[in-house]
Amino acid sequence: MPFDLTTLDEPLKTLAAYDWGADAAPFKAIDAAVIAAHADKALRAELEKRFTDLLGGGTTRAAKEYVCRKLMMIGTATSVPALAALLGDSDNSHMARFALERIPVPEAGNALNKALATVSEPLKVGMISSLAARRDPACVTALTALLKGSPLLAIPAANALGSIHSAEAVQALAAADPFAGEGVGEAIVNARLACAEAFLAGGKRTDALAIYQALAKAASGKPDAKAVELAATRGILTCADAVATAS
Amino acid sequence: MTKPLADVAPAATRREFLRAAATVGAAAAAPYVITSKALGDATTPPASDRIVMGGIGIGNMGKGDQGAFLNRPDVQYVAVCDVRQKWREEGKARADAKYGNQDCAALIDFRELLSRDDIDAVHIATPDHWHAIMTIAACRSGKDVYLQKPETLTLHEGPLMIAAARRYGRVVSGGSQRVLGDYRGIVDPIWAGEIGNVKSIDISVGGPSMPCYLPAQPTPPDIDWDLWLGPAPWEPFNSGRCDGNYGTGGNSWRSYVDYSGGSLTDWGAHHFGGAIFAADLRELQPTKVTYHPAAADGKTAAYMSVTYPNGTELFHNRPAHLRPAPSVAHQGAIQVAGDGKPRAAKPVPQYRNGESNIYGDFIECAKTRQRPFRDIELAVNTMTTPHMIAIGYRLERSLTWDRASQQFKNDEGANRLLDRARREPWSIS
Repeated sequence: MPFDLTTLDEPLKTLAAYDWGADAAPFKAIDAAVIAAHADKALRAELEKRFTDLLGGGTTRAAKEYVCRKLMMIGTATSVPALAALLGDSDNSHMARFALERIPVPEAGNALNKALATVSEPLKVGMISSLAARRDPACVTALTALLKGSPLLAIPAANALGSIHSAEAVQALAAADPFAGEGVGEAIVNARLACAEAFLAGGKRTDALAIYQALAKAASGKPDAKAVELAATRGILTCADAVATAS
Repeated sequence: MTKPLADVAPAATRREFLRAAATVGAAAAAPYVITSKALGDATTPPASDRIVMGGIGIGNMGKGDQGAFLNRPDVQYVAVCDVRQKWREEGKARADAKYGNQDCAALIDFRELLSRDDIDAVHIATPDHWHAIMTIAACRSGKDVYLQKPETLTLHEGPLMIAAARRYGRVVSGGSQRVLGDYRGIVDPIWAGEIGNVKSIDISVGGPSMPCYLPAQPTPPDIDWDLWLGPAPWEPFNSGRCDGNYGTGGNSWRSYVDYSGGSLTDWGAHHFGGAIFAADLRELQPTKVTYHPAAADGKTAAYMSVTYPNGTELFHNRPAHLRPAPSVAHQGAIQVAGDGKPRAAKPVPQYRNGESNIYGDFIECAKTRQRPFRDIELAVNTMTTPHMIAIGYRLERSLTWDRASQQFKNDEGANRLLDRARREPWSIS
């Protein structure tokens, strides 16, 4: 039986003016509709339209938060423009990402990548985090450019490149200074180790070994880099184990 | 007043110094640092052989964990960290009273604690939304970690925590003191082969966490609210949102989805952990998650089950009339049915080196670099089950899990719930 959309009229009206502490009972109908929408394309499209309309209007922060939680579950490319419009707003940026990070369409990644160039520095950190979670290779160029800048951005950018671990990401990390100060070098080393582990897990032993050997060489003879040398050496030995296991 | 050792020298230097001083009787040359307690006695190892610890999240369970570690002669407890002033001050007072000094540091921000080179290990008992971030950060800072259960808040966090532990060679123990302690009534007969192969397990425990709609209250001056929220969505302070009591009915952080998995993962970590250990499933993750809808007559509520690769089925809150007769049971919370076929006995895994509890197990492993009883990988595997069940309840449908990719098969909607975006500046990548 088709979902009766008229049952949502009052709850959505309530939602628009909702603030924390108000009666949330009407949300049960919306929650049920979101679950039903997984198997009902028409309902999903209608819900998405109503939700994005709420994001654009003069709704409360609490209402926008609720809507973003629902779009995280059912949002499509249709939702992206309304969510993207919130990315630069410090009150709502995180919840916009809450939805966009989990919506598996390229438009969502593109919106985060675009916002990375325009939002304030504290919010950029969030964009980087969400792009890392999406493992979006399209953002590698933008992330690479951040490696030589402020540690506030260089550290998450390095971490993100390690999560993405595409060929370009690995190359960018290899070109970065593993001994850069203010925590950046540690993040670069961590990211390169993450890349090597991903290669190993994917059966690309030679690629993993190359990273471990490069790190070991870079750390060799540096008293402050014993931990890096140790991690790289352990990685080299793991690669040897991988060969022994395979043979 | 004795200056805190941490202010004197980094860990390696301090330890080498203490060891050398004790060996050559040079204490008189350094009265500012060396105390009789530092040198040890018949019951206390010298400071150089103690595990130097700090605690993050020091109320409720953190208080209990701190007490357990403080009571160990092979632990030197030097710092507490909590965003709440009351817990911070009480935690410091407990440590200072134990040692008869004022040396325990009381910190607000965990990053300050992790930056101390003299600290070997930390215990973490914050709300669940902090667990992964802090554990990974601790590993990257070279600390071993004793992490309260439930170790994870999302399915995505687990592999990242395991990777951090392995990458940095850290001992990371999950924190259910009950898994080996409370369930021997089912563990021993199953491992002895007395019920044959485990066919089904029924677990009775509360359900998943819920959204929080509590109103704003004035934020008290004794809490750093932004740091309490950390990676969770910003929402206004309410004492019911952040109280650390053990309830899940709406007056604690354990009730709410942004901070906890609810009873399903909280007490569930114990009950699922005990059952999964009893059935020797800790190395496995379920392959199927089955949603059993409520009966049309309204008499049978919805319930869930998971199926492991070896065929064992584990049910959450299956109605009593649908359960098989149990072969063994634990207080009505866990019922296990076996096939009764002959099966060889296996030795029950124990805490390391004869330690009597999970805290000792962790410290022993921190010393010997062995994997603990509830190694993070086993803990993560265990927690996958209640997390999957929670997703099944939320979506009201059955799911199939692919362990290799850590994804649900052919279910884009379920995969959206594997993780959630963290509030800036926090991330776990």
